[in-house]
Amino acid sequence: MSADTGDESILDGIEAPRVALYAVLLAMVAFYLAPLESGLTTAFKTPDGFRTTTPFALPPAGEFTISAWGMAFERLSTGLLNSALMAVPATVLSALFGSLAAYGLTNLRWRGQIAVLVLFVSGVFIPYQAVLVPLTQFWSFVDLGGRIPLAFVAEHEGLLNLSITHVAYGIPICTVLFRSYYATIDDEMLEAARLDGASAATIYRRIILPLSVPIFAVTLIYQFTQIWNDLLFAIVLVSDPSNQVVTVALNQLQGSFVQQFNLQMAGAFVAALPTLVVYVLFGEQFAKGVAGDS
Amino acid sequence: MARLELDSVTKRFGEGDGSVLAVDDVDVDITDGEFLVLVGPSGCGKSTTLRMIAGLESITDGEIRLDGRRMNERGPAERDIAMVFQSYALYPHMTVRENMRFGLEESTDLDDDEMDRRVEDTAALLDITELLDRKPGALSGGQRQRVALGRAIVREPKAFLMDEPLSNLDAKLRSQMRTELQQLQADLDTTTVYVTHDQTEAMTMGDRIAILDGGELQQVATPLEAYHRPANRFVAGFIGEPSMNFVDCDVEGDTLVAEGFRYPLAEEAAAAVDESAAVTLGIRPEDVAVEIDGVPDGDHTFAATVDVVEPMGDENVVHLSIADGPELIATVDGLRQIEADATVAVTIPENAIHLFDGASGEAVHSRSLDDAELDGSRV
Repeated sequence: MSADTGDESILDGIEAPRVALYAVLLAMVAFYLAPLESGLTTAFKTPDGFRTTTPFALPPAGEFTISAWGMAFERLSTGLLNSALMAVPATVLSALFGSLAAYGLTNLRWRGQIAVLVLFVSGVFIPYQAVLVPLTQFWSFVDLGGRIPLAFVAEHEGLLNLSITHVAYGIPICTVLFRSYYATIDDEMLEAARLDGASAATIYRRIILPLSVPIFAVTLIYQFTQIWNDLLFAIVLVSDPSNQVVTVALNQLQGSFVQQFNLQMAGAFVAALPTLVVYVLFGEQFAKGVAGDS
Repeated sequence: MARLELDSVTKRFGEGDGSVLAVDDVDVDITDGEFLVLVGPSGCGKSTTLRMIAGLESITDGEIRLDGRRMNERGPAERDIAMVFQSYALYPHMTVRENMRFGLEESTDLDDDEMDRRVEDTAALLDITELLDRKPGALSGGQRQRVALGRAIVREPKAFLMDEPLSNLDAKLRSQMRTELQQLQADLDTTTVYVTHDQTEAMTMGDRIAILDGGELQQVATPLEAYHRPANRFVAGFIGEPSMNFVDCDVEGDTLVAEGFRYPLAEEAAAAVDESAAVTLGIRPEDVAVEIDGVPDGDHTFAATVDVVEPMGDENVVHLSIADGPELIATVDGLRQIEADATVAVTIPENAIHLFDGASGEAVHSRSLDDAELDGSRV
């Protein structure tokens, strides 16, 4: 690192403000990642290990265990399955309906569409807490299990109610997301398709839908995370324990007498894993959708 | 192949007081196989007119007929018309082959083999066979242009509509495509309406040109007729590059008078202008004769100084000021040496002048010309 070697010291080019900037950034990274890190270390500690060390510290020798993960997975497995059963169709359907609605409101011209669009946009701002009571009344009135005499419907009534509710409440935000994307689609191209003899439905199927892949990725990731992580509707709409979704099950890992922090932390990671998987699966398309490529 | 008639076609956007008249009572009769160019400045209603023919805009008033059948209420798909757009409007997720097949799949009952055959024939015609399996994103501007043409041609429609299809190409490619399009249209013999704001395209491509301004049809004529016999001052100024010179004058007896400018008229021209009416004198730059170091002699020759010379190679565009009088633009041979600030004698030949009514702009007198020259203009 001396001048006579002919090489400049790598520190020569770095100024004090830049050093300070990186220091601040590192501090912020540490601040935001600390809960995640302590959660992860806690999940691998025995209850004794948790008591004798600070949450940030790695498990001490002899106090490392993966038993909490096994137990968390076992106690959440029904919830994970139920959540998947509920969230996957709800996500796909709300994205599909949002895409259709956005196409109709953006790329087709008809009288009164602005008024309908305003209804969709205002749907985005409905607070879930405000609709809890009418929503439970609605589902008890509808009584899916009683009306449709199928074993599957009777067994999964709570999940069906929850799934349909999420589809309905997801459509407005999906529509808004798709609309911003469809507004960038070349009008002349759709006019060319009309002159080529394609109907509105054909244009959607053969042109709009194939071009929507990036925005579908964005919407699927967003909606899946929202629906998977929802606790409020799940608590209110699902009463049957066999229909319990993972967020409710996770909440019940909290023991009433003994707090098993390692179990709770492992459970939180197990419950969050599917959203992570979805993000990884659609990540590349997500980036394209956000960047506005087509 | 069809005859396309526009009968008092009017388009009004909006309703009530806020409405805008975009196209005002346009009548054009386009014969079978004709190449008609709709030309005008931006906002003149030419694209709206084309979109009404295509069925993409509703028609407020009047009628559009294709082969004698009323089109007003028919959707774009039911008109058997193909359109080429300025942005090419190719489907980006489909290959060239799929782009060209799309219209056949949606609008005809042809079997797969027949569709493939048509696509390949059209691709061969346009010399894009090797591009068939590429997507539009991998093509250059000129290649996309050809694919857009191919997509229209493959359907064998009754009429082609083209909305400034060459304006996104660079100058060299544009002039090349201009020639090619003309040849193609002549070979296919399909009725074509071509919209452009470029008067060079209008002059060189059309069998006839229809000049629009402010939604109103100014003139429908062959290119040479529009050039030499403009119906009004707008057409005279719009067609031709550089533009025709205009001098606003008053009429005193049989003499045109402007500040620092007196131009006596011959009998025939003088008869065409009313006593004391305001008249605009028009003269094309190539008709203005410039003599370096010349001494003005005669009634139609004036002393002038050269302000600016723009050498174009084949010709020089010379900006002149007549002493204490109007400014003129003249084009002279490119090999003639002419310098700024030179004093010259400028002649405005009597047989080349146009006269327009000062108020309405209507042509009252056009340059003398053997009419046979106009008729035999295109073969």
